[in-house]
Amino acid sequence: MTQIGEVALWVAFILALWGMALGFAGGRRGRGDWVLSAERAVYAVFGLLVVSSAAIIAAFVGNQYGYRYVAGYSNRELSLFYKITGLWAGQTGSLVFWGLLLALFASIAVFQNRRRNREFMPYVSGTLLLVLAFFLGVVLFASNPFQLMDFTPADGRGLNPQLQNYWMTIHPPTLYLGFTAFTIPFAFAVSALLSGRLDTRWITTTRRWTLLAWFFLTNGIIFGMMWAYVELGWGGYWFWDPVENASLLPWLTGTAFLHSVMIQEKRGMLKMWNVLLILSTFLLSIFATFLTRSGLIESVHSFAQNLTISWIFLGFLGFLIVASAALVWWRRDAFAPENRLESVVSREAAFLLNNLVFVAAMFTVMWGTMFPLISEGFTGQKISVGPPFFNRVNIPLGLFLLGLLGVGPVIAWRKATGRNLVRNFRAPAGVALAVGAVLWMTGVRNTYALLTFVLGSFTMTTIVVEFWKGTRARARIEGEGAFAAFIHLMERNRRRYGGYVVHAGFVIIFMGFAGSAYDVERQVSLRPGESMEIASPFGHTYRLTYQAMSAYPATNMTKVIASVDVAKDGRRIDVLTAEKRAYKQRDEVASEVGIRRAWNEDLYLILAGIDDVNGVIRGTNPRPLATFRVLVQPLVPWIWVGGMIMAIGTLVALWPGAEPTRPVTRQRVVRAPKVAEPEAELVEA
Amino acid sequence: MKKQSRFMAGALVLVGVVGYLAVTGMKDSMMYYYTPDELAAKVTADPSARQLGAKVGGRVVPGSVRFDARTLDLRFEVVDIASGRTRFPVHYNGPLPDTFEEGRDVVVEGRLAESGTFEATTVLTKCGSRYEAADEDFRT
Repeated sequence: MTQIGEVALWVAFILALWGMALGFAGGRRGRGDWVLSAERAVYAVFGLLVVSSAAIIAAFVGNQYGYRYVAGYSNRELSLFYKITGLWAGQTGSLVFWGLLLALFASIAVFQNRRRNREFMPYVSGTLLLVLAFFLGVVLFASNPFQLMDFTPADGRGLNPQLQNYWMTIHPPTLYLGFTAFTIPFAFAVSALLSGRLDTRWITTTRRWTLLAWFFLTNGIIFGMMWAYVELGWGGYWFWDPVENASLLPWLTGTAFLHSVMIQEKRGMLKMWNVLLILSTFLLSIFATFLTRSGLIESVHSFAQNLTISWIFLGFLGFLIVASAALVWWRRDAFAPENRLESVVSREAAFLLNNLVFVAAMFTVMWGTMFPLISEGFTGQKISVGPPFFNRVNIPLGLFLLGLLGVGPVIAWRKATGRNLVRNFRAPAGVALAVGAVLWMTGVRNTYALLTFVLGSFTMTTIVVEFWKGTRARARIEGEGAFAAFIHLMERNRRRYGGYVVHAGFVIIFMGFAGSAYDVERQVSLRPGESMEIASPFGHTYRLTYQAMSAYPATNMTKVIASVDVAKDGRRIDVLTAEKRAYKQRDEVASEVGIRRAWNEDLYLILAGIDDVNGVIRGTNPRPLATFRVLVQPLVPWIWVGGMIMAIGTLVALWPGAEPTRPVTRQRVVRAPKVAEPEAELVEA
Repeated sequence: MKKQSRFMAGALVLVGVVGYLAVTGMKDSMMYYYTPDELAAKVTADPSARQLGAKVGGRVVPGSVRFDARTLDLRFEVVDIASGRTRFPVHYNGPLPDTFEEGRDVVVEGRLAESGTFEATTVLTKCGSRYEAADEDFRT
């Protein structure tokens, strides 16, 4: 039965190629019937990928260890939950999953546009099917999940322990959703180039897709940070690891795109730039998918090294780069701007700077990530660059962006006058200076931390003032209460105010990052009954007392758990546990950290080593020496709070409903019941 | 047109600053990948190479591991995996990495001191599970 999945893949591959050809040819020749066939091919590919994915999951759940993929990522003891997530636990399955998500988005996009944008759709379907055909081809020719071994082992090898974590179920899919959703605006951009319709239509029609992609990618990255924080047990959330960087690259260009399209919509500028940004964002999404799978660069996350896949991906990337560049060159005359930059002190200039920062960050991250390959290629000597490099460049860029975030949305379009500047920035600048002064007086001397809070509070104040002004004006004009006015304000200008909320979240995340300047770390070895102390930068002291070590057998592992009493300034407040887990199947050990989360800081406990593990497991050593790494990490909780606020803001901007041009009709609908009430009474009477 | 060039000048300043930060940042955080053989050859040829950060992949020599669980002082020797020729002592202070054991392949990051001991800031065990198993591995 499972083999149906492979048949489905083949049929999908052939249909994708056929549909792609029909789409492009139909667009050229103006054959609506061919285009319709191409669109049906998109739906069919989606259906077939559903069948194929279901077959893979069925093979996992049915313990069919004759399949190499299933045997490699599951075993009989694995819970049903992780058997289902087996679909994306390993390389081959995750490629099918990528295809499935892309086909889903492609089908939705084709369905949405079954009557609109018909001049775009032939090439949109063609491009989407091209990408689908590529992924299906990789799966079929280089990485087939339905490959049978010539024998059936009694049991599989189990799942990598670090993947046996609830984040496993949501981090990879979220990231993939982000990567794949960027294919839709990419396909529209290609279509705009091919059809020559390079006005803002392709941008406005894919606005929500871009936001959706950005929403998933942002959350995917933040979920990855949370996963690293609780699971890798290194006491951090971001390590500038190649695979982390890879997911950041399309995020950086995607974020730049999100902003620069507004310049094109409002002022008819940056047309070529926008096309280039979305092309790069898509290319970087593919590149990220490739980097994770090729094993070309050493990373904690990478899948196994696979040279065939590397070459196929590189070939496809090369083709996309050449084809995109050729298309842009071919249409180079269609990009003439309708306006020019009128002043360096204007919103346009602020947006341009924003773009420059994002693109500069993208290039430095890319450079640092690829450096081992670059240096090996040119000098024969493999050299890597570490986190200091990335921090040195990106922290100043981030701070610059943080300040720009306060200026950009408020400064006037075209040319800001001195009065405009004074009126808008007097209050925020005052607040920022006050915050800086207070922090200085309380002893904060770290430059980056100070700058983050000064610039962050500047930006935060401009946002609050914007909401305040808008709400007040609305309350006065519409005669509404403050709360109603606030809600309606957001409702009527979702994109603008949703954007402000995202900015506020971003500021809070950066404040959380700044806390790392005051991380405290201690490492000690203790016997049960012994204690250690660690001081928080907030002034209090934690006292940790190692109580006991115990071992528990679980289904597929043995857990060795240390329990530690936590007292804050002499008052007992909590018991933390930190574990080592020895997995039976793979002869692997993983750590589970203990985290006490407070509103302002995390107390992070790592069981780093146990002197006599076997004695503990056998029960012969009741007082084993244990090594603990203890960290106090100020403001880390605010990173997650900021992430949540960003997600909420994106949803506000994304939510379907009133477009900015429709408030008049909406008002009529809202007011209608008031008029209708007396009539209804009359009828009843 | 003047506004455009003024903006370009500003942009160039920004790019210049980023470039400067990138170059200085590179100098501080470069890590050279070596095998023990390569590191030995490099240091013999150019003694100043000791100052550079190095990432060395080698195998833990059986019988060489000394670990003090109280002070977390770890000492062991690594040997070139391919040739088995060059070997040098490694010193590291910290908990034993998970799955660290004699005969395992490890990557140590740090600097080779004058004494000939490699002062490691990180010891990573190479984890076999990241590599895809051959069919034979499933026969157990």
